[in-house]
Amino acid sequence: MPKRRDIVAIVLIVLPWTLLITVWHQNAITPLLTARKGTSCTGFNVALDCSSQRGIVEVTRTEYVYSRPHPGLMFFPPPRGHPTYSRPVQKAELTRLANTLLHVSNLHWILVEDAPKRTKLVSHFLQETGLNYTHLNVETPRNYKVRGDTRDPRIPRGTIQRNLALRWLRETLNVNSSQPGVVYFADDDNTYSLELFDEVRHECVGMACSLCGGLRYESPKVNTLGKVFGWKTVFDPHRPFAIDMAGFAVNLRLVLSKPQAYFKLRGVKGGYQESSLLKELVTLGDLEPKAANCTKILVWHTRTEKPVLVNEGKKGFTDVNVEI
Amino acid sequence: MAPRMRLKLRTVFVLYFLVSVMGLLYALMQLGQRCDCAEHDQPYERTISRLRGELHKLQENMKKSEPTAPTIYVITPTYARLVQKAELTRLSHTLLHVPQLHWILVEDALQKSTLVSNLLRTSGLSYTHLHMPTAAQRKLHEGDPNWLKARGVEQRNEGLRWLREDRRAAAGGGGEQGVVYFADDDNTYSLQLFQEMRNTLKVSVWPVGLVGAMKYESPLVQGGKVIGFHTGWKPSRPFPMDMAGFAVSLRLILAKPDACFDADAPIGFLEGSFLQKLVTMDELEPRADDCTKVLVWHTRTEKPKMSTEKAMQAQGLGSDPTWEV
Repeated sequence: MPKRRDIVAIVLIVLPWTLLITVWHQNAITPLLTARKGTSCTGFNVALDCSSQRGIVEVTRTEYVYSRPHPGLMFFPPPRGHPTYSRPVQKAELTRLANTLLHVSNLHWILVEDAPKRTKLVSHFLQETGLNYTHLNVETPRNYKVRGDTRDPRIPRGTIQRNLALRWLRETLNVNSSQPGVVYFADDDNTYSLELFDEVRHECVGMACSLCGGLRYESPKVNTLGKVFGWKTVFDPHRPFAIDMAGFAVNLRLVLSKPQAYFKLRGVKGGYQESSLLKELVTLGDLEPKAANCTKILVWHTRTEKPVLVNEGKKGFTDVNVEI
Repeated sequence: MAPRMRLKLRTVFVLYFLVSVMGLLYALMQLGQRCDCAEHDQPYERTISRLRGELHKLQENMKKSEPTAPTIYVITPTYARLVQKAELTRLSHTLLHVPQLHWILVEDALQKSTLVSNLLRTSGLSYTHLHMPTAAQRKLHEGDPNWLKARGVEQRNEGLRWLREDRRAAAGGGGEQGVVYFADDDNTYSLQLFQEMRNTLKVSVWPVGLVGAMKYESPLVQGGKVIGFHTGWKPSRPFPMDMAGFAVSLRLILAKPDACFDADAPIGFLEGSFLQKLVTMDELEPRADDCTKVLVWHTRTEKPKMSTEKAMQAQGLGSDPTWEV
């Protein structure tokens, strides 16, 4: 009898300590401990790190900028099957976009290539930039690829790539996480001012975008109550959301809480792609105008000329091994 | 004695047990507070990515704290057009990463514009704002192709003139340390390019991407010396290079005060007209891994279509002209 009681006693003494030590050992990355010491979590710029500890006020806002190379230009019919002829200006565009993004704190770049697999050029480039990034790829199926005039507005471009990024976000991030963030769709040939990212950071949904739609600028119409009530644009202003991809950003929580909201792929008229996503997320009244009630231009829909490469001739003049 | 001891021992034991259970519960509660870190699947990539970012920042800080590094003077001619603000904005973002850089922006205008003045003021860069209009007979007209007349000549010469005056006025021999680079506002520059050009003795050269109707143009290098040029158009020109493909040391600029761009030079000979007065081909210093890497691209921005704007203006519904685009 005493023997059993002793054993029971020993077990009951040892058990809590074993559990405690095991559990603490498993959580070797313990912001818990550092949090207790009172240091803030500002060192953790990485998305989703556990900064929302009890008692810590510091909240790491993370912004996801999704960018993709122009799929239309990626599939410019290669003459004589030259694989390196896919898109000459790609590296240049990504370089200058990265130079801008490097100035923005707490940014995570999701770059989706329209290709069957991730290219070395982009992988290497992303590694060298020093940015936080995620490199994804998905190829647009043949029947959706743009033919002929790459600027045909009837065919939406980049849809599959943007949807992949949305899916990655939803799979990677937990909807219950208190991590705040903003999702912005950035094409790599546009121009972004740094002020834009400051404005967007605070859960923005609507902005003004310049040089769109054959006008000097396009913009939401804002009434005196600070609510969006219409669109100042010429191309079909009666679209539910007559706005360019660069003219809005979405709160991350909204994206995560509505997992069925994607860009519509089929049956979308030109100019309606943005609407196909936004109408599943918000109504017009939910839009929050930024940029001084949509009176300032902070982003430009610039387009880069396709470089003329006539002097390369039929066989190519320059060394194909040099990366441009 | 024995029963009392046992009682005491039991009490001690019970207390101990209670304390340890409470401690365990407390720890479990603390752990329960943690946000659900679903990213356990990618912790390493994220850590690596974060460390790279920090390394990058530290490298930049290191560079910034080198006051003895030669200053890079970037001379950029610019002119008013719809995409001007966009171009200058993204160029300034690139230049902001480069330490010890002074931007000399020369407007093709009769006076300095508010758009450019404000942009420069808020850019955070060290700059000089100049203006010099192009001579009437050399101005391109609407519809003229870009290559018809040399552009930016007067502006670059004005930049050189200011620089020479400013450096002469600066006391001490340290004022001669520097490099001059001519950067157009629509090209794309990698940050590595500025590192390559910083220590130039006379004139350093490198390849330029997407120029001359080719994937790239480049000097040909053998044994560390430039022996020729890879270009598709008139390779017999003295210096068949683009403006973005070379940088000149400040010392050389000051030593040859008459060296300027010749506005009357035939098309394609503009760069040569300047370099001929400064160096010979064998004095050129090749950079970018003996001219095998492309670190600058001669990108061009499309002129935005304004057809709808014109139509709206005809109806009196044009965009607000007071907005700065």
